[in-house]
Amino acid sequence: MRHASFIARTVFVQNNDVEAACRLLNRILGREEILDQFRRTRFFEKPFQFRRRINFEKCKAIYNEDMDRKIQFVLRKNRLDPFPGCS
Amino acid sequence: MLLNKITNISKLCGLYLNKLKISTSATAFREVEDRRLMLRSMPALDEGTAGEKAIEIDSHLYEKSGLFPDLDTPNKLFNGIPYKELPIFNVRVSKNNTILTMSDSKGVIKLTRSCGIEGFKNTKKGTNIAAQATAISIASRALEKGFKTVRVRVRGLGPGRMSAIKGLQMAGLNIVSITDSTRVSWNPPRPRKQRKL
Repeated sequence: MRHASFIARTVFVQNNDVEAACRLLNRILGREEILDQFRRTRFFEKPFQFRRRINFEKCKAIYNEDMDRKIQFVLRKNRLDPFPGCS
Repeated sequence: MLLNKITNISKLCGLYLNKLKISTSATAFREVEDRRLMLRSMPALDEGTAGEKAIEIDSHLYEKSGLFPDLDTPNKLFNGIPYKELPIFNVRVSKNNTILTMSDSKGVIKLTRSCGIEGFKNTKKGTNIAAQATAISIASRALEKGFKTVRVRVRGLGPGRMSAIKGLQMAGLNIVSITDSTRVSWNPPRPRKQRKL
């Protein structure tokens, strides 16, 4: 689907800081996996490669979810002052 | 007698030479045998997208700051010109070249410059230095024509992506916004087969 140009994927430059705007744009594109998809579709992805990639992504997602849960468990707190001695 | 000795020596030399083999130690000292292994061990090529993997805490900061366009952006004035009528700089980046064109708001091309036109040939075309030089040259031409405030539209990935925009700014253009218009599809026609390494 085409998006309205200069509305979608547009970042304004502030204080003449072009580099920061570029970085922000690239970060958004990277996070939305637009650049990944662009790189992936330069060459044909054979079915075995597709399967392997999907399986790898599944495993990674499961691992990340579990790891997030573990980190949350370690970081859990129930104190009046959540970070004693840090104020 | 003497002649005999000489023939003997020459015979010996012949024997010795027959046993000689040419051997090199290059294969033993080479770090990786396989070409693919070697390619894998090389650092990844710079694709010209700094900040792609960067993680920063953002979200609520951006809402107020006017970093992104909203409903009344097209009519917002920049240097006395509404946003929708600002001239556009199109930057077409690929692995092997960078092409910059300048058009007015309706898309009529006013100026064209590429790294090849600029005098960079072959592999030199696809470098960030070439992109920057090209950007500076086209931007100075645009300034001569009286275009000072522009918006930039970038398409494609390559080494010239950042440096072309930087070059435009270095030449003295006032860049209002940066737009990405890389053509990405989630159900594309079948692309070409993969390169053999």
